[in-house]
Amino acid sequence: MKYFQPQSVREAVEIARTSEADFLAGGTDLVLHMQTGKIQPIALIDLGKISELKLIRKTPEYLEIGSMATFAELGQNELIDKHAHALWLACQTMGSPQIRNQATLGGNLGNCSPAADGLPPLLALGAEVELISGNGDEVVSLERLLSRTPLLTQDTLIRGFRIPLKGLQSGFAKLGRRRALAIARLSVAVAIEIEGDLATDVRVALGAVGRRAFLSESLAQELSGQEINEAWIEKGVEQVQRIVREALGARASAPYKRVAVAGVFREALASFIPEGGLKA
Amino acid sequence: MMDMKLVVNNKPYTLNIDPKERLIDVLRNRLGLMGTKEGCGEGECGACTVIIDGKTVNSCLVLAAQANGSEITTIEGVGNRHKPHTVQKAFVEVGAVQCGFCTPGMVLSAKNLLDKNSQPSDDEISVAMSGNLCRCTGYDKILRAVKIASQEGKQ
Repeated sequence: MKYFQPQSVREAVEIARTSEADFLAGGTDLVLHMQTGKIQPIALIDLGKISELKLIRKTPEYLEIGSMATFAELGQNELIDKHAHALWLACQTMGSPQIRNQATLGGNLGNCSPAADGLPPLLALGAEVELISGNGDEVVSLERLLSRTPLLTQDTLIRGFRIPLKGLQSGFAKLGRRRALAIARLSVAVAIEIEGDLATDVRVALGAVGRRAFLSESLAQELSGQEINEAWIEKGVEQVQRIVREALGARASAPYKRVAVAGVFREALASFIPEGGLKA
Repeated sequence: MMDMKLVVNNKPYTLNIDPKERLIDVLRNRLGLMGTKEGCGEGECGACTVIIDGKTVNSCLVLAAQANGSEITTIEGVGNRHKPHTVQKAFVEVGAVQCGFCTPGMVLSAKNLLDKNSQPSDDEISVAMSGNLCRCTGYDKILRAVKIASQEGKQ
């Protein structure tokens, strides 16, 4: 196996274009898959030495996150806490301290596990993904990207994410079998545009419910444009249970998850909305 | 094969490795640093914890090549029988070591916490140690040892 350690994005994309090499981000999933033999790369392009991919910064319109920013870096960053609170929360509980020090947000998308903790918050916050390949650059909404199969071609590099600064308030909660070190059995991210007492725009994304994380269009419709109070929360609980029931069908986990999601949804709301709604 | 450079416990090495080799394999098999233990081999248990450039990682999930140019601390660089680290002393005093297999990883997670935050709260200690599993002690003594080490200050 060949191993490349490029210093720039252009160099990395060029190597990918002219070889059959795979990109290596933090490696917490890939190295394990290599060890078990599930993945046997011909060559690897280690993105760890490209400093521009680690940037986290705010521009007038976007919060920009390089694909190689680690969960630990994101979870300790004030810009993330302030402008992408759901993502910040997800970064506190993903894996263990050791995993968070190594695992990256770009790798979370590239690996695209159904239980990827980073994706529901990014979906709820309306994140866009910056891709670079031999064919040129592309900016695509994460929601659209997640509908593609395969997710990315071999020579496509995830440069980073940009979250529009729309003043959304957001939260996140996940259910694992224990508090630390557990893969998400279920995760919920909620982002809301709030005007006065009104939730003018509501975005709910679910993780570990189906093959990939997704944004629920019907929940957005059911919950947007209404006052945030007890009744609104109860309506949300009812609707999110319906979504999970529909998404999971006859899967073995369905009876458990459609009940459990009620609590996870409430917790996600409670992570940023005071008890009983904004008026309480 | 590829050439790489590492500084391990303040000692520089130039190595010729297979890029598939994990950091734990290079530390144990090539450098003979057997203090780093492989428990689960899949990033769950933290027995293989080492510190790379000031951050704890599971050395079973890192390719040695990824650590090219980095500074690494393993348990051998923390202390020894004659000159134990404050954390190691506290572990012994409290009885936080039973079978001992998880201890090197535990000590590195605790040391790294105290290097960054010399007076951590109980919650901060719990979070910092949450990536290290122990099947013997029930954790209470381990957490107490970290607390005691923090009260005794840095060595």
